[in-house]
Amino acid sequence: MKKQILAVLSALAVSATALSACSAPTTGNVPDSSTTSGEPSKAAESTETTEAAANDNTGSERKVLKFGQANAGDGLDMQISTSSRAASIADEITESMLRFTEDNEEVPVLLTDFPTISEDGLLYSFELKQGVHFTNGAELKASDVKFTFERMFTPDTGAKSTAYFKMIKGAQDMLDGKATELSGFEIQDDYHFTITLDYAFAPFLKNIATSYADIFPEEACRAAGDKWGFGTDLIGTGPYKIESNDDSTQVTLVKNEDYHGGEVNLDEIDFIYYDDDQTKLIAYENGDIDLADLNASLLSQYQESHGDEITAYHPLGTAFISLNLKADYIKDINVRKAISLAINREELVDTILNGAGVPATSFLNNSIPGHDDSLPVYTYDPEEAKKLLADAGYGDGITIDAEVRQTDQTVFAALQGYLQEVGINLNLNVVDNATWTSDRTAGKIPVTGMTWNALYPDGDFQMYNYFYSKNSDAQGVYYNNADFDKDLDEARVLTDETKRAELYKDADRLLSLEDYACIPLYYPQSQFIAKPYVKNYKVGNLIYHFFDVDIDAAAKAQS
Amino acid sequence: MWRYVLKRALLAVSIIFSISLITFLILNVLPGDPVAMMLGEFADANKIKEVRHNMGLDLPLWQQYLQWITNLVKGDFGSSYFQKKPVLFLILQAFQYTSYLAAMAYIIALIIGLFMGIIAAVNHGSWLDRFLMSISVLGISAPSFWVAILLQIYIGLRFKIFPVSGVQTSIGYVLPAIALGTRYAASISRVTRASMMEVMGQDFIRTAYAKGLNPFRIVMVHIFRNALIPVITIIGADIGSLLTGSMITENVFNIPGIGKLLIDAINRRDIPLVQGGVIYVAAVCVLIYFIVDVLYAVVNPNIRLGDK
Repeated sequence: MKKQILAVLSALAVSATALSACSAPTTGNVPDSSTTSGEPSKAAESTETTEAAANDNTGSERKVLKFGQANAGDGLDMQISTSSRAASIADEITESMLRFTEDNEEVPVLLTDFPTISEDGLLYSFELKQGVHFTNGAELKASDVKFTFERMFTPDTGAKSTAYFKMIKGAQDMLDGKATELSGFEIQDDYHFTITLDYAFAPFLKNIATSYADIFPEEACRAAGDKWGFGTDLIGTGPYKIESNDDSTQVTLVKNEDYHGGEVNLDEIDFIYYDDDQTKLIAYENGDIDLADLNASLLSQYQESHGDEITAYHPLGTAFISLNLKADYIKDINVRKAISLAINREELVDTILNGAGVPATSFLNNSIPGHDDSLPVYTYDPEEAKKLLADAGYGDGITIDAEVRQTDQTVFAALQGYLQEVGINLNLNVVDNATWTSDRTAGKIPVTGMTWNALYPDGDFQMYNYFYSKNSDAQGVYYNNADFDKDLDEARVLTDETKRAELYKDADRLLSLEDYACIPLYYPQSQFIAKPYVKNYKVGNLIYHFFDVDIDAAAKAQS
Repeated sequence: MWRYVLKRALLAVSIIFSISLITFLILNVLPGDPVAMMLGEFADANKIKEVRHNMGLDLPLWQQYLQWITNLVKGDFGSSYFQKKPVLFLILQAFQYTSYLAAMAYIIALIIGLFMGIIAAVNHGSWLDRFLMSISVLGISAPSFWVAILLQIYIGLRFKIFPVSGVQTSIGYVLPAIALGTRYAASISRVTRASMMEVMGQDFIRTAYAKGLNPFRIVMVHIFRNALIPVITIIGADIGSLLTGSMITENVFNIPGIGKLLIDAINRRDIPLVQGGVIYVAAVCVLIYFIVDVLYAVVNPNIRLGDK
């Protein structure tokens, strides 16, 4: 009966559509999805689709990849956005001088080779590849690189990730509004320039390989003003260029025919925004998208039906309980140790996360140099935890306030249970992102959840901005250990990676095994789901890149 | 009549003004700082203070409100903090989607609701009446996201006629319109039935039947027309709520309408966009009720007579 009713309803709806179709708002220049959609179920439809696609493309099969993800909503200018989702799109269009491959190895992109570094580690000399063009036709020159960095340090730009670059000489003066030019940036000719740092800083070479240092064409970027990163106002040297972008439903990228890195595999990538995970996966099943990230909460549901299409990967991050070391009870190391002992991390990962993670052995992610592979998973010993609390004078139980975001709610509900067992009552308060952000910055949150990711495998990235004494205040942590700071300071200036790893190993030990300044929980696993005809797709860290991916057109036509 | 309309119009304007004041105050006592959101994870307290100062967010509240309301009267809604576009532009863009969805959903709701209501009233007490009214209870109680997901899975995925999400083509509106329209259809059918039953019990209807008039004519002209007043009220309220966006349906079907725009803005504390959006919602509701009030007066002279 219900089916009949629905059929009647839809019939009525069809007539209603027909009546008012002429005034339907459609999105910008987005092509009609029915001509390119993936997998029609009926044979008749399938023929039609292939024919339509063939007609569109002068005989040859166009390779179109449709990728579904949520909309970051603050544009594609990676000086302003810090979202990995925005970076997934932006990095196909704009490029940094160097970048990390999906195996997390650094390679030159816009440079002929890695820059040479002076003995004292202060002067970096760069040589740009010649004949690289932005997709608007302008040639990439040293002046564009200078412009990009100066734009980043101009206060009006509102760039968010200046912390990774402000060791460039003169950057702080620009940020303070005392200068309008970057004194540490010198142009020799169109293809040669040098960057001078205020102090030797080993990870600088890696920082300029992140999306935050994507190089923009001076003229076009200036002309776009604060519209840069919105609509089609983002131009780079990358393998793809924006064909259309309505900022709210879809971004369509097409192949850059003159890409300096050689032939590009795909003709088109459509980034389709889905804010609802369930809807995204239904769209995937329907063939509207070929590839999507798969949230852990939906993993078990799709593992059964689409197990072969799911691939797990491990971002360079750590999920941990972030503590305010000035807060009541938390300031007592015995309480922090007791919290750690109360948690069964293996069980947490197996049950709450459906196995999507690796139980933590220390703070530093297990793929980052310096991580001590010999360490066991943190001990689970509730009896010992109770004893510690009793010795510290909290035998009657204590109540600690926690404020978390919705993403951490499930894990923290489980933690609440573990802590209850040892006499710690975790008073859990779930708030929205904006409330959490300002409360945390203000140091008002004693206990919260956090996953801190590194954009490349380096201990500095994962530890310095969160736990270094000078920085941990802004994170609401207030960690201050001179030995830890010393390790990080030393590692920053060294160029010998083996020695650096040793220092990070020691820093990690101080932070997470001696001081218990945070309670590491697990190294997260993420996963994506892809149709069988999506080839060579791999994700090495946080950001989804589409440099090597290809589509098996024959297999797609058959599916 | 004109005095009545003028009085209603003045009331409407003062309601919008009060709402603007209340929204402004609420947004300013809400926890969460847009500046902290804008600056990202490396912002320290000093930087936040500096940016707040530059944006004029450290001025006394009354001064900020005055500034905002003056601009508003001039037609300047300000710009979104995060999307860097004029608020009015964003609202009008989202309104296109919402209004189209609302129109389709309501056409569906009206056709089904009125039809069901009339059939049920004419056959009141019969199995058909009971059946239709139980369906309407189901329609009112079913949460729209649930109906939405059922439609996506059982209609969209299975038959591949309607897209499961997205409104790149107008056919994409069909499933969301049904999901959204169901509840309205259900309430329209119940109100239509109840008010028709009331009219049916009155003397003039019995007289009409006794005179041997065509029963279809009696139902459609004498009963239905007289039963319309409560229906118009509910239509007014429904259209108001439809035009101000349905967050859940828009989210599930990926439609960038008003509901989605506002929720995103609230989550980020995009204050100019939230304020502009609330003013928009208030204006639409007030306008609809104003039209309903005037329509009342047109349909039922007693109302405007009582006003004199």
